Amino acid sequence: MTTQEVRLCGLLLQEHFGDVVEKVGTHLIRSGVLNLRALAHETKLALDLVKKSLCVLVQHGMCTFGAGRRGPAGPVEYRISCERIIHMLRYPRYIYTAKSLYGDTGELIVEEILQRGQMTMSSTVKTVADRLTHNMPEGQSMDYSEVVSAFSQLVETHFLQRCPPVASAGPSNSEAVDPPPPAVAPSEPENHPDCYRVPYINLTGKGKRRRSSEDGEADLRAAKKAKTDSNECGDEGIFWQVNFERFHLHFRDQAIINAVSCKLDQTSSEIVRTMLRMSEVTTPANAAFTQALSANEIFRALPSNYNIARPILDQYLTLLVDDPMEFVGKTGDSGGGMFVVNLHRALANLARATLESVVQERFGSRSARIFRLLLRKRHLEQKQVEDFAMIPAKEAKDMLYTLLSENLVQLQEIPKTPDHAPSRTFYLYTVNQLPTARLLLQHCYKTVGNLIERRLYETKENKRLLEKSQRIEAILASLQATGAETTQLTEVEEMITAPERQQLESLRHHINKLDSSENQVDETMFLLESYITSTQASR
Amino acid sequence: MTEVKVKKESTDPVDIENRIKELCQQFPQGITDQVIQNDMPHVEAQQRASAINRLLSVGQLDLLKNSNGLLYRLKDVQSASKVKGSDNQEKLVYQIIEDAGNKGIWSRDIRYKSNLPLTEINKILKNLESKKLIKAVKSVAASKKKVYMLYNLQPDRSVTGGAWYSDQDFESEFVEVLNQQCFKFLQSKAEAARDSKQSPMVQRNSSFATSHEVWKYICELGISKVDLSMEDIETILNTLIFDGKVEMTIIAAKEGTVGSVDGQMKLYRGVNPIIQPTGLVKTPCGLCPVFDDCHEGGEISPSNCVYMVEWLDF
Repeated sequence: MTTQEVRLCGLLLQEHFGDVVEKVGTHLIRSGVLNLRALAHETKLALDLVKKSLCVLVQHGMCTFGAGRRGPAGPVEYRISCERIIHMLRYPRYIYTAKSLYGDTGELIVEEILQRGQMTMSSTVKTVADRLTHNMPEGQSMDYSEVVSAFSQLVETHFLQRCPPVASAGPSNSEAVDPPPPAVAPSEPENHPDCYRVPYINLTGKGKRRRSSEDGEADLRAAKKAKTDSNECGDEGIFWQVNFERFHLHFRDQAIINAVSCKLDQTSSEIVRTMLRMSEVTTPANAAFTQALSANEIFRALPSNYNIARPILDQYLTLLVDDPMEFVGKTGDSGGGMFVVNLHRALANLARATLESVVQERFGSRSARIFRLLLRKRHLEQKQVEDFAMIPAKEAKDMLYTLLSENLVQLQEIPKTPDHAPSRTFYLYTVNQLPTARLLLQHCYKTVGNLIERRLYETKENKRLLEKSQRIEAILASLQATGAETTQLTEVEEMITAPERQQLESLRHHINKLDSSENQVDETMFLLESYITSTQASR
Repeated sequence: MTEVKVKKESTDPVDIENRIKELCQQFPQGITDQVIQNDMPHVEAQQRASAINRLLSVGQLDLLKNSNGLLYRLKDVQSASKVKGSDNQEKLVYQIIEDAGNKGIWSRDIRYKSNLPLTEINKILKNLESKKLIKAVKSVAASKKKVYMLYNLQPDRSVTGGAWYSDQDFESEFVEVLNQQCFKFLQSKAEAARDSKQSPMVQRNSSFATSHEVWKYICELGISKVDLSMEDIETILNTLIFDGKVEMTIIAAKEGTVGSVDGQMKLYRGVNPIIQPTGLVKTPCGLCPVFDDCHEGGEISPSNCVYMVEWLDF
């Protein structure tokens, strides 16, 4: 865990779960694996606080526990996963994807599950139905079956999965039950045979509209305690969680399709989209390329509104194969030609384009020219760089040294003599894509940390103003509920002066901007992370 | 009985020299010592040697060496007149510079080849320059280095840098203008192909332009004062590839079709970038020059970042 990752995780935990969880979490990240007593002792917190924080983390899947180094007889050890915490940045993107694929129902289902970490199907359905009914006009209400069907669709396309069953703990049952495996990692959710099987629940009815009279108390009760009446529905103990991997595959496919449509044209991107859709569930994650698909299959699977003739499709496929970006490759000639999407190659190209765009925006287009030149030609001498890039010698030297000082370009020495004398050594400039991608990823972590801190700072600076506006709004709402006159309302509204209103407005604008830029940096992070994991998997 | 008088050949040195000169004229590629001996068997070796030396010092004979031995060749009268009046050292230096052809030779190299001391060399070079026999040309590779070559020779491309350099200065604006013109040409060709709405294969093929076509277009535009060859245009197109705006393929072409080199043709096509500028650079941190110095609680921190303030108010 690098410094920046730890800092980012700390900020995210604090924002979503509070100070105590943040303290426990960051300590656990720094120390690796710890058991409960050591954790409580080192963080100097009360034992039950530590227990509750660990519960929160386990509930959200960020912390796992298992038998420790001393085997099943020893204390249970806890381990935290940095990746899962950083995925919290991406929650808005997951929710947005669910919305675009499955509508509002899907959006709310994913939102609920993300908020609570793990939920049973029945409680999810009930909560979502209630929320949807609340937003509907009077007299209508959401039927449970619609929500159930949306849920089933999410499970069928693997966006939701069952949580893996927890290994039974405690030495007392060790005779009766198989001892948990010595490794601390729990079973992967995919290993469970029923991972994607929707249980049968007898849940019929409609969403309940929350009446305003029930507001106060019922609200509090519902917020603090999750509903525990799932016993009547037949799916107790079966908890569902969001399958982040699947969402990531979806994002990766989106990125590839966008790249193809930018580079070639709309029709080619539709063909690639079809190919990716067909191999969604057959290709393992982190594979270098999809399963081979024949041209006949692709032709049949194309969406009907695109009706292009078969020879035209063949031409498009040939063009995709010939393109220097190598998104699609041809692996055989049976069935009209067998084609695969080169996932690893596409990710490498996207990562390379990201690196080039960073250099271009930061240092200018001539430095970007030198950078691309070095990426293409691998190793070059100073003189050759100047010649190929057609940049005057002085400026080229300056740019190369700037890039070198930022560690985006490396220098490779090739000595002619064993004593490495500088006058008799070749100095070659080179760019290594993988380490540079890692470097930029760390920059991204630091940037997001900076953005979050800035947001907290802005909020803190204007705390007084925010509190005042909240009080005013509460007064307004209560006045409206009790049916006050307009004069009283305007009087209350005027308690906020015009410059204060403006300040509030600009504050809102700032916070929105910071939020949206966090999402944008997260997109870069996603591309770089996918490229790095894909390269490591293919090694 | 008539006295057979053996006519004694006159051993007059001048006669020997003239005879040698005639022999040289007979054999323009050079005569060896053996030939002279065969022709004038009565002349002693010493006399022969002194005659040859005299001719050499006067500058009418060239001494060359080939695999078998020494060759004597008649020197060109004109060039002989040029260095008339110079002494041996100057002639030697002149010889060395002449041999260097149009690449020129550096003064240190002259010193090595002639084994003359530096001061002598400098004096001789000044002398020759004032007689307008040689000239100094500044090399683009090292701007302080001067190479010497014969006065009437054109310097080689490697010294002057070719079409992109004028007076040892790299012409960046010229290169930029050419860059943009080529890119516009390729881009408009790609647009035309895209708008033609034909089958995709035809569309793609018509968006390609060979390097020959681009060269013709640039020549016709007439923005260049210097004549540009196809290789020059290809170097410009390569820079466009490194800008990420153009891609290149090579196809096999029949020998004899216009623009083909060794049976291949290079085709260029304008392309779009595959992603938009990435998210990291949309934040001030992505472009910040003091990114590495920024820490919470330090002089430079997210809380008091000047760039953030400006960016947020944008």
